[in-house]
This record gives sequence, C-alpha cells and structure tokens, in this order.
Amino acid sequence: MDRRTFVQLLAATPLVSLANSETVPKYRVVTNYRPAPVPGMPGPYPGSVVSVKSAKCLDEASAEADAEVVREMMARGMCALTGEKQVLDAWRRFFEPADVVGIKVNCGGRPWVVSAPEIVVEVIRNLMAVGVKPQQVYLYERFQSQLDEVNYAPHLPEGVSIVGAERARGSNRLYDPATYVEADFFGEDDTRSNVMRLVSERLTKIINIPNMKDHGATGVTGCLKNIAYGSFSNVARTHFKGVSQTYSFVGTLAAVEPVRSRTVLQIMDGLRGVWHGGPFAHTRRYVFYPKQIMFGTDPVAIDRLLLDIIDDQRKAEGAISIWDRSPKYLKADRSDERDNDPNVNIIIREPGHVEYASKLGLGVYDLKKIRVKEIEV
Amino acid sequence: MRHLWFLIALPLLYWQQGIESAPALKQAGVERLGVPPDQAETWRKAGFSPVPMSQSELESREKLPAPRIAARVEVASPTRSPWVITNGWRFLRNGAGKYYYDLSAGPASKAALAAAEAFAYGADAVLKIDPADLAEFGSMLAFLRQLPPDGMPPLADFAVVDDGSPLTGEVLNLLVRRNLLFRVVSAPSPQFRLNIKLGTKEYPKAEAANPSEFALKVRRQLTDEQRSLRVYGSEVVICRLTGDGSRARLHLINYGGREIEGLRVRLRGAYLKGEAMVAGSGRVELEDYVVSGGATEFSIPKIGIYAVVDLPAVK
Repeated sequence: MDRRTFVQLLAATPLVSLANSETVPKYRVVTNYRPAPVPGMPGPYPGSVVSVKSAKCLDEASAEADAEVVREMMARGMCALTGEKQVLDAWRRFFEPADVVGIKVNCGGRPWVVSAPEIVVEVIRNLMAVGVKPQQVYLYERFQSQLDEVNYAPHLPEGVSIVGAERARGSNRLYDPATYVEADFFGEDDTRSNVMRLVSERLTKIINIPNMKDHGATGVTGCLKNIAYGSFSNVARTHFKGVSQTYSFVGTLAAVEPVRSRTVLQIMDGLRGVWHGGPFAHTRRYVFYPKQIMFGTDPVAIDRLLLDIIDDQRKAEGAISIWDRSPKYLKADRSDERDNDPNVNIIIREPGHVEYASKLGLGVYDLKKIRVKEIEV
Repeated sequence: MRHLWFLIALPLLYWQQGIESAPALKQAGVERLGVPPDQAETWRKAGFSPVPMSQSELESREKLPAPRIAARVEVASPTRSPWVITNGWRFLRNGAGKYYYDLSAGPASKAALAAAEAFAYGADAVLKIDPADLAEFGSMLAFLRQLPPDGMPPLADFAVVDDGSPLTGEVLNLLVRRNLLFRVVSAPSPQFRLNIKLGTKEYPKAEAANPSEFALKVRRQLTDEQRSLRVYGSEVVICRLTGDGSRARLHLINYGGREIEGLRVRLRGAYLKGEAMVAGSGRVELEDYVVSGGATEFSIPKIGIYAVVDLPAVK
C-alpha cells in the first residue's frame, strides 16, 4: 500500500458519522504510521482508573509538594493499575530498556499548576530502574518559553532532554510535515495541524502527565487535551469569536497514529488544580488542591472523572457549570473579564469532547462502566 | 541584456542627502539612485549612476503605504489573523503603473521589505527611505541583483473583472492577502472556470462590503485542492507564482518582521526539486520534498524578509 492509498483509507474512516455533522468539520488525516496491535489508548486497561489520594502530599499554605509522599502515591498507583506487587514490575508492563520515552508535561498553568517536578522525577527514576537510559528520555511541550519558565532541568538526571517544538512561537520546523490533520474551521489560511517530529520520528512510548484543570474552550483540559493540543501545531485556530471546534478536534488529534499507539500511560497530576481561568493559572485565586494522582491507560475514563471534579469544585465556589452554554455568560475574547469573574465564559465550552473521543475508540465514557480503585496514602 | 533587465526591475532608491553621503551608499552597495536633477552631475562624477528626478516627478507616481503588519482592533488579531498591509494588489491591478514608497518618516526597517515587494511583482517603484535603513536596503538590493531573471507570466487560478472601483480594489487586496492567485481582466475570460465580477447576481456588491468574507467565498468556490499555491506555517507570508510550463518561480514575501522556520509550501503540479534563494542566507536546500497526488510540497528551513524558489517542471 503506498502512502497515498493509506491516506485515502484513513480519510474514508467513518469519523464524521459519529457525531452531528453540523458540528463536526470535515477532517483529512494524513499519516504513514500504522496502529500497534494494542494501541496505547485506551491500552490494556480500558475503563480502569486508580485514584491515589493523600492529605499529606502537599502543604496548601506553601503549595509545596512532599516528594516522599508523592513517591509512595506513585508506587501504590502503578501497582494497583497493573496488579503487580513490585513497583518495578508494574513499570515493566509498559517499558523496556530499548524504549525512547517522551514525557508530555503540561506547562500552560505556570507558575502555579504545572506537571509537578516531583511526579516527573519519579517517572524518570522508574524508567531508569527499568533500564531506559536518561539519554532516551525526553520531556516535551509545544512552547519552549513555557518549559524555560517552569525550569525542570535542575530536577532531572543528566542526559534527559527537554524539547519545545516552538523555540519561537509559530516555528514549524520541529513538526512533521508528513503527519497532520487538515481541516478548515473558520476560513483560516493554514488548515493543517502537524504532529511534533519528536513524537513521530524519535519516541517509541509516551507518558502523559496532564493536570486537573478547567479550560475556557474544552471545559476541562486533561489527558486528551494535553496529548492532542500539546503534540500538534496550529491548534489555537479552533477557537474563534466565542466558538470552539474542540468538541471533535481534541479526540481526532489524539486518535492520529502514532500518537494513539505510543501514548501508553496516563498519570494525571491532581496535586494542584485550577477550577476557573484555565488552562492558565497566573494567580492562586482559582487554584485548588485535589491532592490526588490518577493512573490509567484510558484517557477518556480519567477525563470523564475530571469533568465532575472540576464541575463540582466550580459548584462549590458558586460558579456556573462547565456545561453551561448560555449566551448570557459569554463575553467572547474578554479574557480580562473571565479572569475577574468565574461566571464569564470567553468561549462556549465543549466538555462533550471527552464523550466524542470515546466514540473514536479512545476509551470508556459511561460512568457506570468505569471502574475506579481509590487508594488513600 | 540581462543587465538592462535588472535596471528596469530593481527598485530605485531616491536619495536627497548630499554627496558627503557617498561613502555610506558605496558601503551599502548602492550605485544607481534617483536624485534631484541639479545634483545628478555631482553624483555621476562620484562614480554613481544617477537618475535625475524632481520632487514633483516623484510625487506624480502613485504613493504606496509602507508594507507591514498593522494593529486593527476588532478586525484582526496580531497572532492568528494579522492585518497585513501589502501592495501586491495595486501592482497586479496596474502593472504598468509607476509607484513610490515614502518610508523616510518611518515605520523603521521597512525599506528592504518594500524593495522585495516591488521586485517580486516587477513593479516600477522608487523608494524614499530613512537613511538608517540604508544598509538593510543595500543588502536586499544586492540579493535581488544576483537572482536569475524571471520573465515568466504570473500563474492564476481565476480571473477578476476590474471595474476600477475602490470596492473591487479592496477585494483584490484581500485575495492577494489570502494567497489566492488571480488575473485582473477587463472582461470575463473563458480561460478560467471562475470569473469574479462585482455587481453580478453571483457576486453582488453588498457581499464585497466584507472583503475578507468575500475572499473566503471565492476560495471555497475554487476549493483548496484546486489552488495552485498553499502556504502552511504562517499567516503573514504572501506569495507570487510565475511559470511557463517548463519551470516555475515562487516569490515569498514575509511581512511579519520575524524569521519563520519550516514554512511549508504546496504547489499544484509536479516539479523537480529546485532550490531556494533566501535573502540573508543565500542558497538554501528545500526540505521534506514530496511530489504526490498531483502536487509538490517542500519546506523552507528559514525565511527572513524574502525568498525565491525556482523549480523545473517534471517533463
């Protein structure tokens, strides 16, 4: 099968028929990569989520995490997810020494809510215990400036690389020109979103470490949004004048090979969270502390739980639901007003993106079918 | 002959400073310049090629705005859909016109961009610049001078019937802005599937009141698949494409004021791998070159203000 034929077959898959054709744009998915026999998403544990909580994992006054407690939470979570007794065996379920592993962190909520260095360090320590060399580990994000601000380097073993796709905003060179999704959302000139070259050309596995965050366009930003919008170029074009096309685009991107097959582990960092103003956390005003970490291979199942976590927190704070689509709360593009008032939306949110992703086969959305194992440390 | 072609095609610097500025001009590599008639002989004796031009002669030319990105609140955002001030549509509308840019009072650092813009469209343009931009202008002129001649007709995907009105002018502007390749005609041309004529049932003038939406309508009628040119990775690079069946030349003008890495280009048709000449970098190899599905795609590693890509057609 040549490349062109393969592209045509992908384009012919019935993505569009899965949702309302009025709200789902026409997508053209172009990739040379084939799915793995068991794609990483939803992976070997569809519908399973392990939630490890600890009141001791973080001091709210200082917002400092306790690395030892985090380490214990990570160990318990990985063992519970895999059913292994030994932590190392749990990690060996996913990784082998030859793997080149990408860690998709989230730096968008700098400075207050980013993928915690304590979790990242623990992930790398376990990878090295499996036999993965530091030179085979890459922390990545789209924007180098955000990575620089968060500054993971002092926490990491020598040899681990930190890679931002865009050293200058808009730079296209570190994206793969042969792997992309094409769609015309609002008549924008550039209709392609390309995957990072690092993801397609170098990595064999990806660990996704999103945060528990509200999001002005998607309702929440969790596993799906972090891996999709954090691995592809030119995604901000899906938000325009109060309307967002994230409902279908988040899942569509996450389902593109090789992203879908290589993303084998989801570790949701809920030490800290953002209940409004996300994905940003410029101030602590909307920061809260779920003090938990969720583990799984199914991004949809974890994000389904996240929808309720964020919405419940908003309710507790007296803010409108993430599901509220009323125009009376909409002030398009007024991020200043959104930052001052939790009852202002700048875009009609699309929390339905999580369910849409389930229809693409990325995981289990139905709460009744999601098995949550809760652990207290 | 080639030398003569360049004398016509290269933009002309209009210089009002005295002969004491000769060393700066020499250092910038500028030899040919428009000067007030009473100074022409002095400049000639100093080894320059002066073109006598009075202030009134200069001002009899059509004055052009400085090419740039402009802030337009509520109309365009600086990052996603920047407002680009380009003169390409004026050159396409009146290819025989005589133009001048007055950049002497700013904005700064636009002289090289203006020179590239005029050159790309083969416009007869004179530039009055801020002397502080002389070195940058001279570098661009040196780059333009070394490019092989173009001499090919512009490629177009549709025609626009020009009634000379400001409304049609604004439509032409937005079509250029969106990299939609058209030919300006005085009457509908059977050569094209699409002929845009304002005031007709299909293209009422009321629709053209929003030129951006109008350009989008044309784009969708044409379809992206049928466009001769697509650009990915920037909203501020405007292109001109010429060709004669045996080869093609793509001019890329970056209005953004920042270097762009990895700009991706798709040209309809099959072309052999050519090369890019990039102002400031010289000869640059095209990356990730693919000919597939009736189109040619490649990336340009880096582009500052201006680049030219020459491609031989597949026979």
